[in-house]
Amino acid sequence: MTNFFAILGLPESLLLDHSEIEDAWRTATKKAHPDQKKSDSESLIAADLNRARSVLSSPAERLAHWLEIKACEHESNRSIEPELMDLFATVHTALQKADSVISRNQNSTTALAKALLTKESVEAQLGIQQKMARIQRFKESIISIFPEIDEAARSGNFESAKRNLSQLKFLTKWEQQCQARLLSLLEC
Amino acid sequence: MNEDLIIGIDLGTTNSLVGVVDSGFPLILADEEGERLTPSVVTYLKDGSTVTGREALRLKKLEPERTISSVKRFIGRPFDQISTEEKADSDYKIQPASIGIEIPLSEAETTSPIKVSAEILRRLKTVAETALGHGVSRAVVTVPAYFSNSQREATKSAAESAGLTVERVLNEPTAAALAYGLDKLDEQQTVAVYDLGGGTFDLSILQMKKGLFEVISTAGDTQLGGDDLDLVIANEIKRRLKLNELTAGESSRIRTAAREAKESLSSSDNHLIRLPFFRGNESFETEISKSEVEALMLPVIGRTRSICQRAFTEAQHKGVDSIDHLILVGGSTRIPLVRRSLEEWFEIVPNLSQHPDEAVALGAAIQAGILCGRVREVLLVDVTPLSLGIETFGGLMNVIIPRNSTIPARAGEMFTNAVANQKNFAIRVLQGEREMARDNWLLGEIEIPFEPGPKGSARVGVQFKIDQDGILEVLSRNTKTGEDHVLEIKSSAVDVDDHRVERMVSESIDHAFDDMNERIWTEARIKSEELLPAVESALELIGSKLSENELTKIHEASALVKGILASDLKDAAALKQANHTLDEATQNLAALLVEAAFK
Repeated sequence: MTNFFAILGLPESLLLDHSEIEDAWRTATKKAHPDQKKSDSESLIAADLNRARSVLSSPAERLAHWLEIKACEHESNRSIEPELMDLFATVHTALQKADSVISRNQNSTTALAKALLTKESVEAQLGIQQKMARIQRFKESIISIFPEIDEAARSGNFESAKRNLSQLKFLTKWEQQCQARLLSLLEC
Repeated sequence: MNEDLIIGIDLGTTNSLVGVVDSGFPLILADEEGERLTPSVVTYLKDGSTVTGREALRLKKLEPERTISSVKRFIGRPFDQISTEEKADSDYKIQPASIGIEIPLSEAETTSPIKVSAEILRRLKTVAETALGHGVSRAVVTVPAYFSNSQREATKSAAESAGLTVERVLNEPTAAALAYGLDKLDEQQTVAVYDLGGGTFDLSILQMKKGLFEVISTAGDTQLGGDDLDLVIANEIKRRLKLNELTAGESSRIRTAAREAKESLSSSDNHLIRLPFFRGNESFETEISKSEVEALMLPVIGRTRSICQRAFTEAQHKGVDSIDHLILVGGSTRIPLVRRSLEEWFEIVPNLSQHPDEAVALGAAIQAGILCGRVREVLLVDVTPLSLGIETFGGLMNVIIPRNSTIPARAGEMFTNAVANQKNFAIRVLQGEREMARDNWLLGEIEIPFEPGPKGSARVGVQFKIDQDGILEVLSRNTKTGEDHVLEIKSSAVDVDDHRVERMVSESIDHAFDDMNERIWTEARIKSEELLPAVESALELIGSKLSENELTKIHEASALVKGILASDLKDAAALKQANHTLDEATQNLAALLVEAAFK
């Protein structure tokens, strides 16, 4: 398995900030990019650097990758913590509302009929944006305990890491769903 | 011949250019007449020879059916993905072929978008060779950022048949950003490039830092550009002059008159459209004002708004507020309405420092310079515009490389045999953003070979790679031997077998002969039934804001639609026309509704 921390020359830590990852990627890319030296293997290195940056920049993917490196089996835990359940319900409602506007828009063939839907579309967008802000706050609260997860792991305790990974995965998935609806609504 | 030199080519919908880096500076090469723009037009003379560029444009009047322009709209697209409107709006006919589409020139002769593009590229190669005084064989060619895999491959193969090795397929807005940033390497900026050309639109957001040009997100529409603006103006001319049933020559004259009106109204308030001796001795004249033309163009330009928002939404941490400059390129950005709309929508004053026609070619020359070592300290990193995925059970699209991933990119998937001794497994490779597989571009099918064995024993890793040209390669890895080998993508959409072509051709002929009136009537009736209640609700909501004059127009137009619907004549053409009139009469009403929704 590729160690994404290693190929960017970063420490195997959960506590990386955005600019640290960006700087490491930039330096490595300048060295390895196939425009500088042309060969197929260089192109693969550049692709791996891009993948590494993308994984490490996402808190959920970074945590998952870190757990894998720590050689820790983590079967995906499907349970949702109670405080997330509440969020899920409201996210779900907002998504459904968006879907209804999107499908009615797709079924309209005239500019006027589409224009009539604009008000609802704007409301649906606002709804989605509010949910995305809540998801973001939730994610940040989990990221803020990364130091504790890191600390616990030193004494061999990965429980908190696993639990939080599964919550982060849910949040990331909902975030993507919200983002996709937002983009579709923009086309309305 | 200079083996090391690489030229940069902007292969545009309307015009093309070629450039090179000399002593560290990019420059555009001029032809023997001193012109830098080569119109992307080719005339096929009856003696079998071809004429390209300005002369072909001149021949358009004499040989309208044998003079082909704007092929970029069709390159690399399968026949069945081209809409009926697009076919109707084109100056020339298109028909399905074993590879993509064909353009018939006469009973016996055909050409294709790839062949026409190859002629244009051959001409640009000659321009460069004459200007430089030696042969060239390598090139960077630009394409719209939003071009799919097949459109990129088709462009590349056109260049190859013109005798050019393609060293890089470069995205147009990215090229423009290079031209903009070459003298600002010490600065750190986030820029958005708004590129509205003759037939395509792209918006890309880039971050420039210490010589690294990094694209963060891109969005676009490969069927939206100046041609569409000409079309709405041409339709208005036809409407005013009550001209129906036009010949190819007449249609092309009106299109030219429309383009002239558009260009002239960028700098004046009124324009007289003149069509002398249009039909025999009949001449036509009509005056059109800037505000009338702007009202016609606004819906088309409005389509770029949501595309921009999409790119801004996708650029993480880089909303519209963090854009330092919004750079305009592409001929259509000369239109004052484009600039005004952008200022109004995004509250940012567009940066006009780049030459709208030349920035992309200059950028292509710079990238060519980077690749041949003439430009140092600059590096470009781009993204893939469309998500790449495979079709899963149930016809859904499973994304493997998401859009806006930095390229080169690769991702792997593991496949195993579902039954004992299964020989192979076919997967369909897709590109696009829709949830259902069928709504996306089908790039083709690949067959994964399995070694014989019990169920679940054969394991093949498949690597999907998008290279720096944005072109896909699929490799399979034998997990036992560790050997990679390239899987051929059988492009069912681009290379269609003869049988299917025959069917498509006969279907397209069937369409021409089956009961058109009935079909058009049904389509028009559905539209009327949607439009009439929409007009009523809209008037109730916001009708008070309209002028007496506008209200009368709307009431008259909807009464006309109702009258035709109620009549037993089932006059499809009349209903279509009446819908169109009502559509136009309610344009302002729709705009007011949208505006009110954003308040």
